[in-house]
Amino acid sequence: MTFAINIGLALLLGPLLAGVVRKMIRARVHSRQGPPIVQPFYDLFKLLGKEDLESGPGLVLRYAPMVAFAAILAAALLTPMGLRPPLGGYGDMIVFTYFITIAVVGVIMTGLTSASPYSMLGAGREIMMHLIVEPVLIICLVTAAIKCGSLLMWDMAASNYVNGPSISMVVAAVALFLALQAQIGKLPFDIPEAETEIMGGPFIELSGPKLALFQWAFFARQIVYASVLAAIFIPWGTGFALPWNIAAHLLKVIVIILLVGLIDVVNPRLRIDQAMTYFFGVIFVALVGMGFALIGA
Amino acid sequence: MVDADLLIAALVLLVAGAIITTVIARYRRLCGYVAFVTALIAAIWVTMVAWQALTVGPVQARVPLLTITELGSPLLFVVDQLSAVFLLITALIMVCTTLFSMRYILIYERYSLARYYPLLLLFFGSVISVLSVHNMLFFLHFWEFMTLTSYVLVVFHWVNPDSGPAGLRYFIATHVAMVCMLIATIIVYRQVGSLEFAAVREAIAELTVTSPATVHLILALFVVGFATKAGILPFGFWMPDAYPAAPTAASAAFVGTMCKLGVYGIVRFFTTCLPLSHFVTTWGIIIAVLGTISIFIGTITALQQTDSKRLLTFHAIGQTGYMWLAVGLGLALLRISPAVATLALLAGLFHTVNNALFKPLLFLNAGAALYRTGTRDMDKAGGLMAIMPVTAVTAIIASLAIAGIPGLNGFVSKWLIFQSTVVGGFELPVFVFLGIVAIFISAVTLASFLKFLGMLFVGRLHVSPEVERREVPLTMVIPQVTIAIFCVLFGVLPILVMRHLYTAVSAILPSGYSPAFASLFGTSPLTVNLSLSGAPAGAWGPIVILVAFAGCLALAYLIFRMGGARTREVPMWLCGEEHDFAEVRYPVHSFLLTFNRYFAKIYPSIPFAQLARPTAVLKLLDIDRWVYDPMFRALRWIMRGMSASHTGLPQFYMLWMIVGAALAVIVLFSMAGGL
Repeated sequence: MTFAINIGLALLLGPLLAGVVRKMIRARVHSRQGPPIVQPFYDLFKLLGKEDLESGPGLVLRYAPMVAFAAILAAALLTPMGLRPPLGGYGDMIVFTYFITIAVVGVIMTGLTSASPYSMLGAGREIMMHLIVEPVLIICLVTAAIKCGSLLMWDMAASNYVNGPSISMVVAAVALFLALQAQIGKLPFDIPEAETEIMGGPFIELSGPKLALFQWAFFARQIVYASVLAAIFIPWGTGFALPWNIAAHLLKVIVIILLVGLIDVVNPRLRIDQAMTYFFGVIFVALVGMGFALIGA
Repeated sequence: MVDADLLIAALVLLVAGAIITTVIARYRRLCGYVAFVTALIAAIWVTMVAWQALTVGPVQARVPLLTITELGSPLLFVVDQLSAVFLLITALIMVCTTLFSMRYILIYERYSLARYYPLLLLFFGSVISVLSVHNMLFFLHFWEFMTLTSYVLVVFHWVNPDSGPAGLRYFIATHVAMVCMLIATIIVYRQVGSLEFAAVREAIAELTVTSPATVHLILALFVVGFATKAGILPFGFWMPDAYPAAPTAASAAFVGTMCKLGVYGIVRFFTTCLPLSHFVTTWGIIIAVLGTISIFIGTITALQQTDSKRLLTFHAIGQTGYMWLAVGLGLALLRISPAVATLALLAGLFHTVNNALFKPLLFLNAGAALYRTGTRDMDKAGGLMAIMPVTAVTAIIASLAIAGIPGLNGFVSKWLIFQSTVVGGFELPVFVFLGIVAIFISAVTLASFLKFLGMLFVGRLHVSPEVERREVPLTMVIPQVTIAIFCVLFGVLPILVMRHLYTAVSAILPSGYSPAFASLFGTSPLTVNLSLSGAPAGAWGPIVILVAFAGCLALAYLIFRMGGARTREVPMWLCGEEHDFAEVRYPVHSFLLTFNRYFAKIYPSIPFAQLARPTAVLKLLDIDRWVYDPMFRALRWIMRGMSASHTGLPQFYMLWMIVGAALAVIVLFSMAGGL
């Protein structure tokens, strides 16, 4: 059942919340009506039926979107979403981060195979963003691992719930939130795609079902990242009885996503070098958090 | 039942093969076949011995081959579990690289193969010998022999202007390291009068009490020696020049075997020759820090390269850093936590084994690309998947393996290393930070190999028109596929490999020291359930996770097909304008430019001091200058004087004749005694 919950949350809640953000936040900030909340689903289904144009050599380009999509789902299966993750006994935080990485590899391979200068540029930016953002996630997760003595993600969540908040975990949560915007590809850090500048970067040559898979994977990715932040670093509600722990988790995820959406709307895009300078700072904050964890705080 | 005689037979066979290939070097193809068959048979024999050592117990020759009584040094071949692990790698690499060489080396048309195959075979022979002696004297001898043979291979392509200086650097660096190890050995020898590893252990045990400073000196000298060979920065500065200079098959052999001996040396020396003391802890930390420096600088610098082999060599530096980090961690915790120490040493060994698979494979991939396109510059060739699909697929496997993508072998060992740094951090916090660097660099490795793949293999075909558009010959495909299969196999069934590595690790540690395998890694044959002090600490179940991943892929495929979209091939969209692909191709050096700018100066280019020429000696040697030139000048002066008398007037010539005749008469008269 937990399989269904995790996959379902990732696949359905992702587009739905995106719709909510578009209607209730972005449209409101822009003082306009906005599309219906289920518009992202309409878009996805429409794209799935559209003609699939291929501009590069087949093999890699054909399977990279599926691999990225599947990797995000696999990461979702390793993520605690209110309950013990279905595959939690077979993979820990390192496996989780690597599945996230596989999704990034899928994006980059798509960009590289398309070979358009725009997609190459986007792929390069995607790599750079990954290089500079991923350490934050890892350092924060390692902080949690030090606090609980295990690298299994459910153990971290449970341990943080039992032991209550500590300085190190709060600092880690702040650092992870500061990086969240970039991890799920929102402004001011949607530098790899940058529609107004390099026309979608790695996805410039994609159309139809491939683009749909990527978009859907990114919707799901929001839920996965928000779940990690909510379950491990903001653990209130983890110990409730069955329906309530999921409800508490959902509430936290929704709040996080809406907050991210708000930041997305009110910010302009940064340049890649500005983003890197920013993330060196965030990494430093995360390292300070880890230092606290090492001295037991 | 086999014994060490088979190992000696293999060594003799390799030497015989070297002699035969020297004699028949003119027959270039035959030479390749002979070398391959020799290597194959030798590898089978070595594998038999090593397998026996790993599964049953140490294999030892009955009598020493020779004994140098004065130095207390018998040449006795012993293969224990640790050696066996490295011997198995060597056997595989030996077969694959010689097979690959058969066609590859033919591109060097004007070079005599007498400078290639015999040295390659002797090189492998010396690697095998280094791994199976337990005596400092012979260890150093074979080590030196390995250095010399590899040196000649580095300078094989001597017309290449980079080749000579690269070889010289290599020669000097490794010999300085050799001198370091020699000095350390002499210090030890003066203590006990024997050079057996067991005796060295005694000597150091005595010294730890009487003179700790000497022990530190000995350890420092050995660490420098091994670091130089392994390519650990700053001692491995020669590597980025030397490895690319060698023929690619030889480079693959170097990274697969010689480079790993630096790790073997550290593990062997610090466990067999060093009693358990605080020295091990201190030097463990130093080794781990050195390793981490290499990881960071080596890999970040690799990201900036555009030459495929140079990129791979910088990664070799970075990857060796991982092994040193793990091994150093294991050594540092030997006195503190048996479980974590065992885990870390196993992780280090596992990474060594894995790296000895995918690293040579990557070199072979680069070699295949070089064979087909004739260039190492990734700006000049790309998209080779279209013409070399098998090579490209193995390159993808190797690249993803080295980047640590789950399901391939590189992931398992990196995973173990990260686990051990985090849990080791509970005891010594510095290791957590080293672990974070390692994880970050793991992502950099991925970036760099995506660049390697993206530029060289996937993407649009981009080669010069005269390049033959087909896969490389079968003898070059087979080695690549073989190693790639091992990469996948070790990735999917890591626990089987870890069982054997555990045997090796627990054999070099004191008996009863390591916790039982099942208590450390769980009892499941498919999942690694890591637990330390009873509590679960991490898990990796490749089969289950991969099945789940396959399920997700199936779901993705269903969604993909759901709308029944048709596929159509279209040209690349360039904003409506028409461009030739070559015009708009994104160049390698701009890729990741922003990131690389941050770290542009991280690899200091060491100015390799030009030897000041001894001017006095040069003058002495310059015969023209002190013999010919003065004589010429004197002669010319005389001639000038004489030519002044030739005025062209007949009267003058008459006068000269009269004066001459008069002089002649005077002389004749005086000789006759008259006057």
